[in-house]
Amino acid sequence: MTSKAVEDIVLEIKDKSELMIDLAYSSILYDNETIAKEVYDLEDLIDDLYKSLQRKTLEQVENKKLSVEDALTVLRLAEAAEQIADAAQEIADVELRDVELHPILKISVRDSDVVFTRVKVEPQSVLCDKTLGDIKLGSETGMYIRAIRHGDKWLYGPDKHSKVNSGDVLFAKGPEDGEKHLLALAAGKTKEI
Amino acid sequence: MKEKRKLGIFGRLQRTPKEKWKKEEFSELEYEPTTVKELLTEMKDISELIIDLAYSAVLFDNEEIAEEVRYLDVRMDKLNYDIRMMAMMAARAKDDAEQLAGILQVAEAAESISNAAGDIVSLLKKEKTGPILPKILKEADEQLFRIKVSNQSKACDKKIGDLKVETKTGMRILVIRRDECWIYNPQSDTTIQANDWLISRGTDEGYEELNKFLQGEMEVLE
Repeated sequence: MTSKAVEDIVLEIKDKSELMIDLAYSSILYDNETIAKEVYDLEDLIDDLYKSLQRKTLEQVENKKLSVEDALTVLRLAEAAEQIADAAQEIADVELRDVELHPILKISVRDSDVVFTRVKVEPQSVLCDKTLGDIKLGSETGMYIRAIRHGDKWLYGPDKHSKVNSGDVLFAKGPEDGEKHLLALAAGKTKEI
Repeated sequence: MKEKRKLGIFGRLQRTPKEKWKKEEFSELEYEPTTVKELLTEMKDISELIIDLAYSAVLFDNEEIAEEVRYLDVRMDKLNYDIRMMAMMAARAKDDAEQLAGILQVAEAAESISNAAGDIVSLLKKEKTGPILPKILKEADEQLFRIKVSNQSKACDKKIGDLKVETKTGMRILVIRRDECWIYNPQSDTTIQANDWLISRGTDEGYEELNKFLQGEMEVLE
Protein backbone atom coordinates (compact mmCIF):
# COMPACT_ATOMS: atom_id res chain seq x y z
CA MET A 1 0.00 0.00 0.00
CA THR A 2 1.55 3.29 -1.05
CA SER A 3 0.96 6.67 0.48
CA LYS A 4 -0.84 7.59 -2.76
CA ALA A 5 -3.84 5.56 -1.74
CA VAL A 6 -4.49 7.71 1.31
CA GLU A 7 -4.22 10.94 -0.65
CA ASP A 8 -6.51 9.61 -3.36
CA ILE A 9 -9.18 8.75 -0.84
CA VAL A 10 -9.08 12.17 0.84
CA LEU A 11 -9.38 13.82 -2.51
CA GLU A 12 -12.30 11.64 -3.49
CA ILE A 13 -14.06 12.51 -0.24
CA LYS A 14 -13.41 16.21 -0.85
CA ASP A 15 -14.60 16.17 -4.48
CA LYS A 16 -17.64 14.03 -3.70
CA SER A 17 -18.65 16.23 -0.78
CA GLU A 18 -18.65 19.28 -3.06
CA LEU A 19 -20.63 17.41 -5.70
CA MET A 20 -23.16 16.51 -3.00
CA ILE A 21 -23.66 20.16 -2.07
CA ASP A 22 -24.29 21.05 -5.71
CA LEU A 23 -26.67 18.12 -6.16
CA ALA A 24 -28.49 18.90 -2.92
CA TYR A 25 -29.14 22.52 -3.92
CA SER A 26 -30.19 21.36 -7.41
CA SER A 27 -32.63 18.86 -5.95
CA ILE A 28 -34.35 21.71 -4.16
CA LEU A 29 -34.32 24.03 -7.13
CA TYR A 30 -35.89 21.43 -9.43
CA ASP A 31 -37.92 19.68 -6.75
CA ASN A 32 -36.19 16.50 -7.88
CA GLU A 33 -36.31 13.47 -5.61
CA THR A 34 -34.02 11.35 -7.78
CA ILE A 35 -31.16 13.77 -7.28
CA ALA A 36 -31.92 14.03 -3.58
CA LYS A 37 -31.75 10.23 -3.28
CA GLU A 38 -28.41 10.24 -5.04
CA VAL A 39 -27.13 12.59 -2.34
CA TYR A 40 -28.12 9.94 0.20
CA ASP A 41 -26.27 7.23 -1.74
CA LEU A 42 -23.18 9.42 -1.99
CA GLU A 43 -23.29 9.99 1.73
CA ASP A 44 -23.14 6.20 2.26
CA LEU A 45 -20.22 6.03 -0.12
CA ILE A 46 -18.39 8.79 1.73
CA ASP A 47 -18.94 7.02 5.05
CA ASP A 48 -17.31 3.89 3.60
CA LEU A 49 -14.46 5.90 2.13
CA TYR A 50 -13.90 7.67 5.42
CA LYS A 51 -13.75 4.39 7.32
CA SER A 52 -11.27 2.85 4.91
CA LEU A 53 -9.25 6.06 5.02
CA GLN A 54 -9.00 5.86 8.78
CA ARG A 55 -7.77 2.28 8.59
CA LYS A 56 -5.26 2.94 5.82
CA THR A 57 -3.91 6.04 7.49
CA LEU A 58 -3.33 4.20 10.73
CA GLU A 59 -1.69 1.30 8.91
CA GLN A 60 0.70 3.69 7.25
CA VAL A 61 1.57 5.30 10.53
CA GLU A 62 2.28 1.86 11.94
CA ASN A 63 4.51 1.07 8.98
CA LYS A 64 6.27 4.41 9.46
CA LYS A 65 5.27 5.57 6.00
CA LEU A 66 3.31 8.53 7.34
CA SER A 67 4.14 10.80 10.25
CA VAL A 68 1.65 11.22 13.06
CA GLU A 69 1.29 14.91 12.15
CA ASP A 70 0.50 14.16 8.51
CA ALA A 71 -1.91 11.40 9.49
CA LEU A 72 -3.80 13.77 11.78
CA THR A 73 -3.97 16.41 9.09
CA VAL A 74 -5.33 13.93 6.57
CA LEU A 75 -7.93 12.61 8.97
CA ARG A 76 -9.06 16.06 10.07
CA LEU A 77 -9.41 17.28 6.53
CA ALA A 78 -11.45 14.20 5.69
CA GLU A 79 -13.57 14.74 8.78
CA ALA A 80 -14.40 18.28 7.69
CA ALA A 81 -15.30 17.06 4.21
CA GLU A 82 -17.45 14.38 5.81
CA GLN A 83 -19.30 17.07 7.77
CA ILE A 84 -19.90 18.93 4.54
CA ALA A 85 -21.35 15.74 3.08
CA ASP A 86 -23.64 15.40 6.09
CA ALA A 87 -24.83 18.96 5.57
CA ALA A 88 -25.60 18.16 1.93
CA GLN A 89 -27.66 15.22 3.09
CA GLU A 90 -29.60 17.47 5.46
CA ILE A 91 -30.45 19.71 2.51
CA ALA A 92 -31.51 16.75 0.37
CA ASP A 93 -33.62 15.51 3.28
CA VAL A 94 -35.81 18.61 2.98
CA GLU A 95 -36.59 17.66 -0.60
CA LEU A 96 -37.44 14.07 0.34
CA ARG A 97 -39.93 15.02 3.03
CA ASP A 98 -43.55 14.81 2.26
CA VAL A 99 -44.02 18.54 2.61
CA GLU A 100 -44.26 20.92 -0.26
CA LEU A 101 -41.14 23.08 -0.49
CA HIS A 102 -41.49 26.66 0.59
CA PRO A 103 -41.19 28.87 -2.50
CA ILE A 104 -38.46 30.90 -0.81
CA LEU A 105 -36.16 27.87 -0.90
CA LYS A 106 -36.19 27.74 -4.65
CA ILE A 107 -35.85 31.48 -5.02
CA SER A 108 -32.87 31.62 -2.68
CA VAL A 109 -31.05 28.84 -4.48
CA ARG A 110 -31.78 30.47 -7.79
CA ASP A 111 -31.06 34.06 -6.82
CA SER A 112 -27.43 33.67 -5.86
CA ASP A 113 -23.95 34.23 -7.21
CA VAL A 114 -23.68 30.77 -8.68
CA VAL A 115 -26.70 29.53 -10.57
CA PHE A 116 -27.78 25.99 -11.25
CA THR A 117 -29.38 25.18 -14.53
CA ARG A 118 -30.99 22.26 -16.31
CA VAL A 119 -31.07 21.93 -20.06
CA LYS A 120 -32.01 19.33 -22.63
CA VAL A 121 -29.60 18.64 -25.48
CA GLU A 122 -31.45 18.88 -28.80
CA PRO A 123 -30.47 16.67 -31.79
CA GLN A 124 -29.15 19.66 -33.75
CA SER A 125 -26.85 20.76 -30.91
CA VAL A 126 -23.09 20.74 -31.44
CA LEU A 127 -22.75 19.09 -28.04
CA CYS A 128 -24.19 15.78 -29.31
CA ASP A 129 -21.88 12.76 -29.42
CA LYS A 130 -18.99 14.65 -27.89
CA THR A 131 -17.21 14.00 -24.63
CA LEU A 132 -17.05 16.66 -21.96
CA GLY A 133 -13.28 16.71 -22.52
CA ASP A 134 -13.84 17.61 -26.19
CA ILE A 135 -16.23 20.44 -25.60
CA LYS A 136 -14.48 21.92 -22.54
CA LEU A 137 -17.66 23.57 -21.33
CA GLY A 138 -16.05 24.51 -18.03
CA SER A 139 -13.25 26.61 -19.44
CA GLU A 140 -15.26 27.91 -22.41
CA THR A 141 -18.57 28.89 -20.83
CA GLY A 142 -17.87 28.78 -17.09
CA MET A 143 -20.57 26.13 -16.71
CA TYR A 144 -19.54 22.91 -14.99
CA ILE A 145 -21.70 19.85 -15.64
CA ARG A 146 -22.57 18.16 -12.34
CA ALA A 147 -24.99 15.51 -13.57
CA ILE A 148 -26.30 14.08 -16.83
CA ARG A 149 -29.63 12.31 -17.24
CA HIS A 150 -29.68 9.87 -20.12
CA GLY A 151 -33.18 8.46 -20.48
CA ASP A 152 -33.86 7.10 -17.03
CA LYS A 153 -30.17 6.62 -16.27
CA TRP A 154 -28.19 9.18 -14.35
CA LEU A 155 -24.53 10.03 -14.35
CA TYR A 156 -23.43 12.06 -11.37
CA GLY A 157 -20.18 14.00 -11.32
CA PRO A 158 -19.26 13.22 -14.96
CA ASP A 159 -15.62 13.50 -16.03
CA LYS A 160 -13.93 14.47 -19.29
CA HIS A 161 -14.57 11.02 -20.78
CA SER A 162 -18.34 11.27 -20.27
CA LYS A 163 -20.27 11.54 -23.49
CA VAL A 164 -23.18 13.85 -24.21
CA ASN A 165 -25.96 12.39 -26.34
CA SER A 166 -28.92 13.93 -28.06
CA GLY A 167 -31.86 14.03 -25.65
CA ASP A 168 -29.66 14.06 -22.53
CA VAL A 169 -30.53 16.49 -19.78
CA LEU A 170 -27.56 18.35 -18.36
CA PHE A 171 -27.46 19.76 -14.83
CA ALA A 172 -24.85 22.49 -14.63
CA LYS A 173 -23.51 25.10 -12.28
CA GLY A 174 -21.91 28.42 -13.13
CA PRO A 175 -22.36 32.17 -13.66
CA GLU A 176 -25.56 33.65 -15.06
CA ASP A 177 -23.97 34.73 -18.36
CA GLY A 178 -22.60 31.25 -18.87
CA GLU A 179 -26.08 29.83 -18.48
CA LYS A 180 -27.39 31.66 -21.55
CA HIS A 181 -24.50 30.39 -23.62
CA LEU A 182 -25.07 26.81 -22.48
CA LEU A 183 -28.81 27.02 -23.19
CA ALA A 184 -28.12 28.30 -26.71
CA LEU A 185 -25.56 25.56 -27.33
CA ALA A 186 -27.85 22.79 -26.12
CA ALA A 187 -30.73 24.10 -28.21
CA GLY A 188 -28.49 24.17 -31.30
CA LYS A 189 -28.93 27.93 -31.66
CA THR A 190 -25.23 28.58 -31.22
CA LYS A 191 -22.72 26.37 -32.94
CA GLU A 192 -19.66 27.98 -31.46
CA ILE A 193 -18.54 26.80 -28.09
CA MET B 1 -32.79 44.05 -4.00
CA LYS B 2 -30.05 41.70 -5.10
CA GLU B 3 -27.69 44.62 -5.64
CA LYS B 4 -28.43 45.98 -2.22
CA ARG B 5 -27.60 42.70 -0.57
CA LYS B 6 -24.34 42.43 -2.39
CA LEU B 7 -23.25 45.80 -1.12
CA GLY B 8 -23.64 44.36 2.32
CA ILE B 9 -20.75 42.03 2.70
CA PHE B 10 -19.14 40.89 -0.50
CA GLY B 11 -17.13 42.52 -3.19
CA ARG B 12 -15.80 45.43 -1.27
CA LEU B 13 -12.26 46.33 -0.44
CA GLN B 14 -11.53 45.54 3.15
CA ARG B 15 -8.79 44.94 5.60
CA THR B 16 -9.42 42.00 7.84
CA PRO B 17 -8.30 43.25 11.23
CA LYS B 18 -6.81 40.65 13.48
CA GLU B 19 -9.46 38.83 15.45
CA LYS B 20 -12.26 40.58 13.60
CA TRP B 21 -14.36 37.50 14.20
CA LYS B 22 -14.09 38.01 17.94
CA LYS B 23 -15.49 41.48 17.62
CA GLU B 24 -18.36 40.06 15.61
CA GLU B 25 -18.93 37.28 18.08
CA PHE B 26 -19.12 39.48 21.14
CA SER B 27 -20.97 42.38 19.62
CA GLU B 28 -24.53 42.91 20.74
CA LEU B 29 -27.13 41.10 18.77
CA GLU B 30 -29.29 43.64 17.14
CA TYR B 31 -32.55 42.74 15.60
CA GLU B 32 -32.50 43.89 12.03
CA PRO B 33 -35.55 43.05 10.04
CA THR B 34 -34.37 41.29 6.89
CA THR B 35 -36.45 38.96 4.84
CA VAL B 36 -36.04 35.22 5.18
CA LYS B 37 -35.22 35.09 1.51
CA GLU B 38 -32.33 37.55 1.81
CA LEU B 39 -30.97 35.74 4.83
CA LEU B 40 -31.15 32.34 3.16
CA THR B 41 -29.59 33.59 -0.07
CA GLU B 42 -26.69 35.09 1.83
CA MET B 43 -26.26 31.90 3.81
CA LYS B 44 -26.17 29.82 0.68
CA ASP B 45 -23.64 32.12 -0.95
CA ILE B 46 -21.41 32.06 2.11
CA SER B 47 -21.70 28.27 2.37
CA GLU B 48 -20.28 27.92 -1.13
CA LEU B 49 -17.60 30.59 -0.86
CA ILE B 50 -16.36 29.58 2.56
CA ILE B 51 -15.32 26.06 1.50
CA ASP B 52 -13.16 27.40 -1.30
CA LEU B 53 -11.71 30.05 1.00
CA ALA B 54 -10.89 27.45 3.62
CA TYR B 55 -9.06 25.23 1.15
CA SER B 56 -7.28 28.32 -0.27
CA ALA B 57 -6.09 29.31 3.20
CA VAL B 58 -4.65 25.85 3.73
CA LEU B 59 -3.22 25.50 0.25
CA PHE B 60 -1.47 28.86 0.25
CA ASP B 61 -0.69 28.72 3.96
CA ASN B 62 -2.38 32.07 4.42
CA GLU B 63 -3.46 33.21 7.86
CA GLU B 64 -5.38 36.25 6.58
CA ILE B 65 -7.75 34.19 4.46
CA ALA B 66 -8.16 31.87 7.44
CA GLU B 67 -9.17 34.91 9.46
CA GLU B 68 -11.87 35.77 6.92
CA VAL B 69 -13.15 32.21 7.12
CA ARG B 70 -13.46 32.55 10.90
CA TYR B 71 -15.28 35.82 10.45
CA LEU B 72 -17.72 34.36 7.92
CA ASP B 73 -18.26 31.38 10.20
CA VAL B 74 -19.29 33.70 13.04
CA ARG B 75 -21.43 35.75 10.68
CA MET B 76 -23.15 32.57 9.62
CA ASP B 77 -24.10 31.83 13.24
CA LYS B 78 -25.76 35.21 13.39
CA LEU B 79 -27.60 34.78 10.14
CA ASN B 80 -28.82 31.42 11.35
CA TYR B 81 -30.09 33.01 14.54
CA ASP B 82 -31.84 35.77 12.61
CA ILE B 83 -33.49 33.38 10.21
CA ARG B 84 -34.87 31.30 13.07
CA MET B 85 -36.37 34.40 14.58
CA MET B 86 -37.86 35.52 11.28
CA ALA B 87 -39.28 32.09 10.61
CA MET B 88 -40.99 31.96 13.97
CA MET B 89 -42.62 35.26 13.39
CA ALA B 90 -43.79 34.18 9.95
CA ALA B 91 -45.52 30.99 11.06
CA ARG B 92 -49.25 31.34 11.57
CA ALA B 93 -50.55 27.84 10.97
CA LYS B 94 -49.34 24.25 10.87
CA ASP B 95 -48.78 24.35 7.11
CA ASP B 96 -46.60 27.45 7.45
CA ALA B 97 -44.63 25.81 10.19
CA GLU B 98 -44.01 22.67 8.14
CA GLN B 99 -42.72 24.61 5.20
CA LEU B 100 -40.64 26.96 7.32
CA ALA B 101 -39.08 23.98 9.08
CA GLY B 102 -37.61 23.01 5.71
CA ILE B 103 -36.07 26.47 5.33
CA LEU B 104 -34.54 26.27 8.79
CA GLN B 105 -33.10 22.86 8.01
CA VAL B 106 -31.35 24.19 4.91
CA ALA B 107 -30.09 27.18 6.91
CA GLU B 108 -28.80 24.83 9.59
CA ALA B 109 -27.00 22.78 6.93
CA ALA B 110 -25.38 25.92 5.50
CA GLU B 111 -24.22 26.74 9.00
CA SER B 112 -22.72 23.25 9.45
CA ILE B 113 -20.81 23.78 6.22
CA SER B 114 -19.28 26.96 7.59
CA ASN B 115 -18.34 25.11 10.77
CA ALA B 116 -16.58 22.49 8.67
CA ALA B 117 -14.72 25.29 6.87
CA GLY B 118 -13.70 26.63 10.28
CA ASP B 119 -12.31 23.18 11.12
CA ILE B 120 -10.34 23.13 7.89
CA VAL B 121 -8.60 26.43 8.64
CA SER B 122 -7.81 25.29 12.16
CA LEU B 123 -5.47 22.78 10.50
CA LEU B 124 -3.38 25.78 9.56
CA LYS B 125 -2.89 27.10 13.05
CA LYS B 126 -2.06 24.15 15.19
CA GLU B 127 0.41 22.04 13.37
CA LYS B 128 2.91 23.18 10.85
CA THR B 129 1.86 20.37 8.61
CA GLY B 130 4.31 20.62 5.79
CA PRO B 131 3.43 19.79 2.25
CA ILE B 132 0.88 17.02 2.61
CA LEU B 133 -2.22 19.22 2.22
CA PRO B 134 -1.04 21.11 -0.86
CA LYS B 135 -0.01 17.76 -2.33
CA ILE B 136 -3.53 16.41 -1.88
CA LEU B 137 -5.36 19.53 -3.03
CA LYS B 138 -3.27 19.92 -6.18
CA GLU B 139 -4.75 16.72 -7.59
CA ALA B 140 -8.38 17.93 -7.54
CA ASP B 141 -10.36 18.31 -10.79
CA GLU B 142 -11.00 21.94 -10.15
CA GLN B 143 -8.06 23.52 -8.45
CA LEU B 144 -7.26 26.75 -6.71
CA PHE B 145 -4.71 29.02 -8.33
CA ARG B 146 -2.93 32.21 -7.40
CA ILE B 147 -2.04 34.70 -10.14
CA LYS B 148 -0.42 38.13 -10.00
CA VAL B 149 -1.69 40.77 -12.41
CA SER B 150 1.08 42.32 -14.50
CA ASN B 151 0.88 46.02 -15.33
CA GLN B 152 1.26 44.93 -18.97
CA SER B 153 -2.08 43.13 -18.86
CA LYS B 154 -5.10 44.47 -20.68
CA ALA B 155 -7.14 43.48 -17.66
CA CYS B 156 -5.87 46.43 -15.63
CA ASP B 157 -8.58 48.91 -14.63
CA LYS B 158 -11.30 46.80 -16.25
CA LYS B 159 -14.35 45.34 -14.55
CA ILE B 160 -14.52 41.61 -14.04
CA GLY B 161 -17.99 41.55 -15.57
CA ASP B 162 -16.81 43.39 -18.71
CA LEU B 163 -13.88 41.02 -19.12
CA LYS B 164 -16.25 38.06 -18.73
CA VAL B 165 -13.52 36.17 -16.93
CA GLU B 166 -15.76 33.43 -15.65
CA THR B 167 -17.71 32.70 -18.81
CA LYS B 168 -14.60 32.80 -21.00
CA THR B 169 -12.19 30.81 -18.86
CA GLY B 170 -14.37 29.07 -16.30
CA MET B 171 -12.16 30.62 -13.62
CA ARG B 172 -14.15 31.92 -10.70
CA ILE B 173 -12.30 34.67 -8.87
CA LEU B 174 -12.69 34.09 -5.14
CA VAL B 175 -10.41 36.70 -3.68
CA ILE B 176 -8.41 39.72 -4.78
CA ARG B 177 -5.53 40.95 -2.71
CA ARG B 178 -4.58 44.57 -3.28
CA ASP B 179 -1.59 45.69 -1.19
CA GLU B 180 -2.77 45.18 2.37
CA CYS B 181 -6.44 44.96 1.49
CA TRP B 182 -8.63 42.08 0.39
CA ILE B 183 -11.75 41.79 -1.70
CA TYR B 184 -13.65 38.58 -1.03
CA ASN B 185 -16.03 37.23 -3.64
CA PRO B 186 -15.52 40.15 -6.06
CA GLN B 187 -18.59 41.08 -8.07
CA SER B 188 -18.99 41.89 -11.75
CA ASP B 189 -18.39 45.62 -11.14
CA THR B 190 -15.14 45.03 -9.25
CA THR B 191 -12.14 46.29 -11.24
CA ILE B 192 -8.87 44.44 -11.60
CA GLN B 193 -5.74 46.52 -11.02
CA ALA B 194 -2.07 46.07 -11.77
CA ASN B 195 -0.20 44.13 -9.09
CA ASP B 196 -3.38 42.59 -7.66
CA TRP B 197 -3.10 38.99 -6.56
CA LEU B 198 -6.07 36.87 -7.56
CA ILE B 199 -7.07 33.55 -6.09
CA SER B 200 -9.38 31.71 -8.38
CA ARG B 201 -10.86 28.30 -8.90
CA GLY B 202 -11.09 26.36 -12.14
CA THR B 203 -9.44 23.86 -14.47
CA ASP B 204 -5.83 23.73 -15.70
CA GLU B 205 -6.87 24.95 -19.13
CA GLY B 206 -8.79 27.87 -17.71
CA TYR B 207 -5.83 28.76 -15.53
CA GLU B 208 -3.40 28.76 -18.44
CA GLU B 209 -5.58 31.11 -20.44
CA LEU B 210 -6.27 33.49 -17.58
CA ASN B 211 -2.64 33.46 -16.52
CA LYS B 212 -1.45 34.45 -20.01
CA PHE B 213 -4.01 37.23 -20.11
CA LEU B 214 -3.07 38.58 -16.69
CA GLN B 215 0.63 38.37 -17.48
CA GLY B 216 -0.01 40.51 -20.55
CA GLU B 217 1.01 37.70 -22.92
CA MET B 218 -2.44 37.61 -24.44
CA GLU B 219 -4.44 40.64 -25.58
CA VAL B 220 -7.97 39.36 -25.04
CA LEU B 221 -9.74 36.39 -23.53
CA GLU B 222 -11.26 34.16 -26.15
